[in-house]
Amino acid sequence: TEWSVSLWGKRRAFTEHVEKLAELVSEKTNGEFTLNISYGGLSKNTENLDGISIGAFEMAQFCAGYHRDKNPSITVLELPFLGVQSLEQERALSQALYQHPAVVEDLARWNATLLMPSPLPQYNLVGVGDAPKTLADFEGMTVRATGGIGDAMAGVGAVPTSMSATEVRQALDSGVMKAVSFAPHAHMSFGTIETGNWWTTNLNPGTVNCPVVVNTDALEMLSDSEREALLSSVDEALDYYIEFYNDKTMSAWGPALDEKGIERVTYSDEEIAAFKEKVAGPTAAKWVEDNTAKGLPAQDLLDFVQGELAK
Amino acid sequence: MAGSSTVLSDDTLLSRIDRRLYSLEQVLSLVSGLAVFSLMILAVISVSGRNFFNVPLPGYVDWIEQAMPLIAFMGVAYTQRDGGHIRMDILVGRLKGRALWAAEFITTLAMIVLIALLIWGTFSHFQRAFDFNAPLWSRDSSMDIALPLWPAKLLAPVAFSVLLLRLCLQLWGYGRAFLSGAESPVAVPLIQSAAEQAQAEAEHVSGSPVDAPEDTQKETH
Amino acid sequence: MEPIDIGIAVSAGMLVLVLLGMRVAFAAGLAGLVGLIWIFWAKAGYDPSRFGKALTIAVKTAGQVPHSKVSSQALSLIPTFILIGYLAYYAGLTRALFDAAKKWVGWLPGGLAVSTVFATAGFAAVSGASVATSAVFARIAIPEMLKIGYDKKFAAGVVAAGGTLASLIPPSAILVIYAIIVEQDVGKLLLAGFVPGAVSALIYGGLIVGMALVIPNFGPPVRGFTWGERLKALPPALPIVFVVLIIILFIYNPFGGDAWGTPTEGGALGAFVVFLMALYKGMRWAQLKDALLETAKLAVMIFTIIWGVLIYVRFLGFADLPGAFSDWITSLDQSPMLTLVLILLAYAVLGMFMDAIGMLLLTLPVVYPAVMALNGGEMVSAADSAFGMSGPMCAIWFGILVVKMAEFCLITPPIGLNCFVVAGVRDDLTVQDVFKGVTPFFIADAVTIATLVAFPSIVLWLPSLV
Ligand code: NA
Ligand code: NA
Repeated sequence: TEWSVSLWGKRRAFTEHVEKLAELVSEKTNGEFTLNISYGGLSKNTENLDGISIGAFEMAQFCAGYHRDKNPSITVLELPFLGVQSLEQERALSQALYQHPAVVEDLARWNATLLMPSPLPQYNLVGVGDAPKTLADFEGMTVRATGGIGDAMAGVGAVPTSMSATEVRQALDSGVMKAVSFAPHAHMSFGTIETGNWWTTNLNPGTVNCPVVVNTDALEMLSDSEREALLSSVDEALDYYIEFYNDKTMSAWGPALDEKGIERVTYSDEEIAAFKEKVAGPTAAKWVEDNTAKGLPAQDLLDFVQGELAK
Repeated sequence: MAGSSTVLSDDTLLSRIDRRLYSLEQVLSLVSGLAVFSLMILAVISVSGRNFFNVPLPGYVDWIEQAMPLIAFMGVAYTQRDGGHIRMDILVGRLKGRALWAAEFITTLAMIVLIALLIWGTFSHFQRAFDFNAPLWSRDSSMDIALPLWPAKLLAPVAFSVLLLRLCLQLWGYGRAFLSGAESPVAVPLIQSAAEQAQAEAEHVSGSPVDAPEDTQKETH
Repeated sequence: MEPIDIGIAVSAGMLVLVLLGMRVAFAAGLAGLVGLIWIFWAKAGYDPSRFGKALTIAVKTAGQVPHSKVSSQALSLIPTFILIGYLAYYAGLTRALFDAAKKWVGWLPGGLAVSTVFATAGFAAVSGASVATSAVFARIAIPEMLKIGYDKKFAAGVVAAGGTLASLIPPSAILVIYAIIVEQDVGKLLLAGFVPGAVSALIYGGLIVGMALVIPNFGPPVRGFTWGERLKALPPALPIVFVVLIIILFIYNPFGGDAWGTPTEGGALGAFVVFLMALYKGMRWAQLKDALLETAKLAVMIFTIIWGVLIYVRFLGFADLPGAFSDWITSLDQSPMLTLVLILLAYAVLGMFMDAIGMLLLTLPVVYPAVMALNGGEMVSAADSAFGMSGPMCAIWFGILVVKMAEFCLITPPIGLNCFVVAGVRDDLTVQDVFKGVTPFFIADAVTIATLVAFPSIVLWLPSLV
């Protein structure tokens, strides 16, 4: 069996678990079952779910915030200030939620089965111009921030805009955006640290959720040994991903900031607490309201997530 | 190509349908032009909002992405009617009479197959973004301000349907020309011969106030 | 059959359709769709009972492409830059430019043709679309050249070739599209186009002067303008400078501080200023409607090619042709410079059958990484590199080379968009006439390309200043 896998951009920390999965699956089946990974050749990144639903390819990665209407159930993981502390915690939380019946049903509309998350650390901002020393300095600042992170930034008076990662550099260079929220690997690969001159170390407003899914029919059509080889490799692939992210990316981040002479801005605990107070509750309430209207058991999902985090 | 071919007309049913459809196509093409104009206005609002009032236009990119299909698709049949989509005419340019009409008939038929399948494909693209039970019927929305995407996605199958109509008319026109062996049939774009061009030029009255182009309309009705 | 073989078979089929005279956009789309059906059916083991399923998947996959690919902010530049061209025509700016050029350089051998080249070069600083530039100047310059006895075909060729300058001299839709595909700094790329564009214009001018000296009855110089008349011809052309300034401020702010916005916004604002000028010059709804219709027509033609070619590109993605090509290029056992020259030659051949933007969309995802790898990678320093320049500089240099090749493809037969447009504007010219008239400029373009390859500093010194 040969599966086509639709990713985008180029090979990076964010795609290492899929690469590892391909390696493991091929090994375990002696090359009988291979994953053929394409970076952008099979689909536009915002249409990977469409491709899965059509059956054009069998596996794909996407981010929930690209199209909230396509996958409302998992956008709960993009709410600001959920309080996730580590990649390991983000992974466990995502994997638990991916089993929730409402989530399974939501993705089933696309003939998709959630396979594994791509855990990312908390986002923070890189920006140009004067560093915002206090949260009040964000008033009127144009920032690139998607989903719940955008909602959070709006809470301190910033003007959030969603744009895809590839447009960010140009927006920052041209002054259309003053700051950009990304995880560290993306700040490095999309070049924001080439232009920026400050970085917020502890804003931590949230992250994005980018699952890897498989086509449900294709999954069912695998032989038992092939399916076993695939499913049993997920945990190992994720272990590898997290180790890679922590070791390679996070350890390169500090030196990269030093090399570019980027100022680190740190906010006091009281300020962060006030920020969270102001933003977290209302945004979550709004999320529940909007998604209940879409026919989703939104309050359930939110309770489920908060319950998992309390464990 | 763009403008260099002429479409003749007479009193036949085919020609009357051709002209009827042409006026519809022209309206659609103007919609496309107005969408370009609105793109320009949108940028002016966005830039001045950001630089002078510190109020960026929310969802600027989303609105551009909504306008683009209008620009790209709405005029597709109009351009086909006038023979405006580019092609290589070195080979067909040498053909005459029945051989020419047969070649045109075949390539037109190939286009009909493509466009018919694409209407199916683009409509299914629209369907995946459309859900009667969802707020705003939307199952897929833009990234920044969550505009529903289904209207823009619907434009492709709509514009392609008009194009399909146009292609069917042209197929009819070429088929008729093949059967009758006519030199200059109606309702299909003709590759102009030098003599016809000279005639067309003689008929032309040039010049207008703001050095308007001499050739905006090349209809020889 | 292996996917690669399917890729080759389908590509050959597309060529046959194009030769048969099928409209290029639809030939590419049909080839792509047939290829997709083939690929998915092959995946199903050519089982007749599963053909329907393969067809459905292929049609739905192809059906995603038109909407998904055209609804892009980056491509919104194309219609905007075309609109500037037509509005400038109605504002009388193009005529003013041509008039000034005529009075200043008309005395040269072949003076009116040289004036046309310089006027198109000047207009290139506000226009970002080569096709629109040729379309507009075909109306102004060709009649004047014919009046004083130029060969009809050559006059058309000058306009077709002159139009290509619009994509090197900033602003340029094609350069922006390159920058977006390869994710490089748009501002630096646009700056980099300026000197090569000027060099191209000078080489075109030199070629015309040379031809005028050698060929009898070429077309007389236009003499007899006083210095007073020359100076008076300048102010009407000045608004161009104003629009240029606006666009520069949006691409790169020379006064320090941020640029005012993106090139896309700069183009749109430039168009708006020209629109106001045209209103002032007496443009009314009738003329605006003409401008909009013509803009729509050109834009639709270009976008149809874009989505048609991209259906084909989607098929190539499924056939995994790009990966195979990249592996092959980097495995070649020869000097990187020779490989680069061969790539440029391949562009010249491919460019005969493609339009410029379609060609870039088709090739860059494959060729760009291969060229960067040839030079030693994206992060390579100038000292360690094969071409003697750092990774980012190589991206700029290659961008300008590719765009110049794309310009070349706009005037080469059998598919040369600029020539089609010029023939479209002039009833008395066939496409073949324009292709004949434009041939001398192939030599000029070859000289320009060789110069840019041999002396990369022509491209790189301006962007290296910022
Ligand atoms: Na230009
Ligand atoms: Na060509």
